[in-house]
Amino acid sequence: MADSTPQTGRLIAVDASRSQDLSADAEAIAMRLRARGVPCGISRWDASGLFGDLLMADRDELIVAPRTLTLLFAADLMFRLKWEIRPAIAEGHVVIAAPYVDTAVAVGVGVGLPEAWVREVLRFADAPDTRIYARERKRDQGWRTKPTRGYAEFCATLLDAAPAGLARRKGRAMSIEWLAAAAKASGSPRGRKALEALARRYGQTPGAGA
Amino acid sequence: MPTTARPGPDLSRAIAERDRTRGLLIAFEGPEGSGKTTQQRLLKTWLESEGHHVISSRWASSPVVKPLIKARKRLRSLSAEEYSLLHAVDFRQRLETTILPALWTGKTVIADRYLFTALARDAARGLEIDWLLQLYAPLVWPDLVVYFALKSQDSSRRVAATRAPRFYEAGQDVTGVEDPLISYRQFIGRVITEYENLALIFRFVKVNADQLVYRQHQQVRRLVQKVARRPWTEFSAEAVSEWLTRHPKLAD
Repeated sequence: MADSTPQTGRLIAVDASRSQDLSADAEAIAMRLRARGVPCGISRWDASGLFGDLLMADRDELIVAPRTLTLLFAADLMFRLKWEIRPAIAEGHVVIAAPYVDTAVAVGVGVGLPEAWVREVLRFADAPDTRIYARERKRDQGWRTKPTRGYAEFCATLLDAAPAGLARRKGRAMSIEWLAAAAKASGSPRGRKALEALARRYGQTPGAGA
Repeated sequence: MPTTARPGPDLSRAIAERDRTRGLLIAFEGPEGSGKTTQQRLLKTWLESEGHHVISSRWASSPVVKPLIKARKRLRSLSAEEYSLLHAVDFRQRLETTILPALWTGKTVIADRYLFTALARDAARGLEIDWLLQLYAPLVWPDLVVYFALKSQDSSRRVAATRAPRFYEAGQDVTGVEDPLISYRQFIGRVITEYENLALIFRFVKVNADQLVYRQHQQVRRLVQKVARRPWTEFSAEAVSEWLTRHPKLAD
């Protein structure tokens, strides 16, 4: 007998201190969900193009503060929520938001911002149904200065250009420490159980195939 | 959990010492058509004739962020939150790269619109004022906020005399009214109400923008002559110390 319960979308937040780890885990989750017939998509950093456009500015003028970058992340996240995340969820899809709020908090803490302020700025973000913290690879390395790779790397590049600079290794270490504490506090370090439950639920729902 | 560093005694001392020689921060606020830009130019000319170094900073004018905002405004695709956040980005950028460095070196800064513009406009768009204040935190308080008060119908009349209001200026994103002038009339009323609330909370000094330009200028001169500095150590310590942390040579 077919299950006629209307399928509702879900939001999975994937966060990490390093963008390569974030992408790798987000892709792996998407593959697992799709293999079970769950329709899903990944919402990525800089969908709005704000960060890319910022790089077009004159390099001499491109000296920005950590708070400026957090505000820019918030503007980009608002764009993603409006154009990618909320519409897809409304259609019953699973959206993997990678990065989401905790990445901005972790990077913010790593570059010396108060956690409470970053959270307040991002408080418009919808609460995710599942939180997953990506496995941190190359833990002893700092962020690379490669602005197109991801948010943390963008910050490392621009903040290194600022007069006071940024200790990339120290910043990332603090970021990992924060993420580890957040994962511990969430009770499910990588949200694996929640993810499996989600996949099972969708896998049993007829018409949920991609 | 690590948090932001508190200003150490050296930084606090550097800020307190600089407070005696730093420049004044004067903010001009008011609805469109209230004559802020004219008054800002007159004040700048007068202060320079008196031997002061003066810079002016206009709203949404950071060379780095302005193109980002302009392109997205043209598409008319910004939500109220995005609009607000992008203006906060621009403000933070100007604060860090123009306003604070100028004040630190003793220059007077006249801000043709300050963060109160965002608070009034974005609150009129329905956003929560406490969230808006967070976007601009930590605050750098102006020494003087001059509010050019004008009735909504006068603002509409003055704006309409020269041009059609632009999409976001007219609040068409929230009113949904197709005619920019009709939308502006509705929207500016809300903005002025928010301004009036802010004027009480933040102790703006009101200037009647219906007066002759010369009379307003005389009043502004008198206000600037007798203005007392709002000590950074009391009002803006967090913002200034955060900025100094990234420019440690300045504190030496």
